Amino acid sequence: MKMKTLELLRNHQYRLSHSRRWLFVAVITLYLIPSYTRADGIGDILSLFHTITSTLQGPIGSALNEMRTVSAAVNKFRQEIIWPLSLINQTRSFVSATRAHYTGLMSQIEGLKNNSATLALPMQLESMFRGAQSGSIGQIPSLYTQVYQPVALAGIAQPGQRNLMDIDDAMAMDSLKTSMVSDQTTQGMLTLADSLEQQAATAAPGSASMVTAQARVADLVTQAQFAKMLAAQLRQEATKLAHQNATLKHSATTTQNLFNQIQQVLAHP
Amino acid sequence: MNRPTLNRLWKFLRNAVVAACGLAVVVALLPSKARSQLGLDPCCAMMQVGLNSISGLLRNVVAQPLGSIQQNQQQSANYEQQVVFPLAAITQARNMAVQFEGQFIQMRQLFELPISSATLRTPQLLEQSLLSGNPGAMPQITSNYSALYGNVMPPANAPQSVRNMVDMTDAEAQAAMKKAVEIDALANLELQAAEQINQQLQTAAPGSSTILEGETAAWLVRANAYTQSAMAELVRVRSIELANSSGQLKFSASHASTLHTTGNQVLQPGVQ
Repeated sequence: MKMKTLELLRNHQYRLSHSRRWLFVAVITLYLIPSYTRADGIGDILSLFHTITSTLQGPIGSALNEMRTVSAAVNKFRQEIIWPLSLINQTRSFVSATRAHYTGLMSQIEGLKNNSATLALPMQLESMFRGAQSGSIGQIPSLYTQVYQPVALAGIAQPGQRNLMDIDDAMAMDSLKTSMVSDQTTQGMLTLADSLEQQAATAAPGSASMVTAQARVADLVTQAQFAKMLAAQLRQEATKLAHQNATLKHSATTTQNLFNQIQQVLAHP
Repeated sequence: MNRPTLNRLWKFLRNAVVAACGLAVVVALLPSKARSQLGLDPCCAMMQVGLNSISGLLRNVVAQPLGSIQQNQQQSANYEQQVVFPLAAITQARNMAVQFEGQFIQMRQLFELPISSATLRTPQLLEQSLLSGNPGAMPQITSNYSALYGNVMPPANAPQSVRNMVDMTDAEAQAAMKKAVEIDALANLELQAAEQINQQLQTAAPGSSTILEGETAAWLVRANAYTQSAMAELVRVRSIELANSSGQLKFSASHASTLHTTGNQVLQPGVQ
């Protein structure tokens, strides 16, 4: 095969003249030379540089400048409009000043004594149920009984009347005891309110929501306690109404008995 | 050397020179790497200028704004950490929730103190039902109420209008007592919820505390609604009381009129 190829080339060499041989070499050479490569390479590099430069100056540079402007604006907005330090400090001062101004006045009003009884036993009872000390609840029945007398003995009043006396006394004492508990918890709530105000005076905008949530919880507890007081009042009023109704029933029965007795008297002269 | 030999030698040398020149031309025309590496190509200078230009642009157009943005971000972060969300204030608020928990428990225990005061058996039973705070005890309230205050009188003992008024009054008194039990039970649940929300606040973040605030606000709305319903019951009790006063006045007027008519008839002349 190799020999055949060499022989073919040798024959071909003989067939071509010298001038044709040079022409053939020149054509092959021209085909082999990448005549536009260097020109194209330089053009591409220049074009690439131009693209990179214009991209950096245009989209990237503009976007970054825009971001810088926005970032600075947001920062300024936060520090000067939403959370300006001067206003934060001013508000804290306002809370402290408000607390300083009103706490004393409210304490004075709160400290006023409303006791009005003049006799010894009523004074003791009044002092007890206005004391706001739940530990004294156990002393209420004895003081109450001393002022309002115990339930009538079985021989003195009828069972129905004794029951009415007892339930009226019980509801009155229950409500007095509930009012003592309520007064004590009110003191606790006022202490919590003071703590909340103190906290507000040193709070940051970020922690204020936590203080507010805490205040809401305390508000819920107060509302629940208020409901308990309202329940006590409902019991009182219901007992009062039931008492009036029982009296009416008793009157009707008594009247009917009297009517029957009169009829019996008139029937047997 | 003979002439043909010289001719052949001359042809060989001529071809060799031509081939060498052709090769030199081809090599000269090819984009060889050697010339670029030597830095003699003007392309290198252009690349240097281009790269310098890019480097300058990166410094001025990219790096400078990025640095400014970073500075803004840092300043903003510092401001938020030191002024808006300082950790000390957040921790202080959490500690307050811990402190409040004890107070809330103490208050709840105060309202759980026994306050019953009745001394006789029948009033004791009713009082026990009323103070139980147990809505399941409603049927017992009805029976205990009847045992203490009695039922509506029989028709023979009073006119129907009086019996109606008595029944209405009993109904309202019992309803108010039952409402009081309901309100007590609801208040106990509200206190439990308040303690649970307070426990959540002890570990809350500024971002989550607003959710807890919303939850507590919802409970407050509910509590206000229950309080309002209790207030309505109280208004009904007082309305029935007022209606009873009015009813009694009407009965008195009717009785007085009847008495007046009867008296007139008795005092009529000619009447034996």
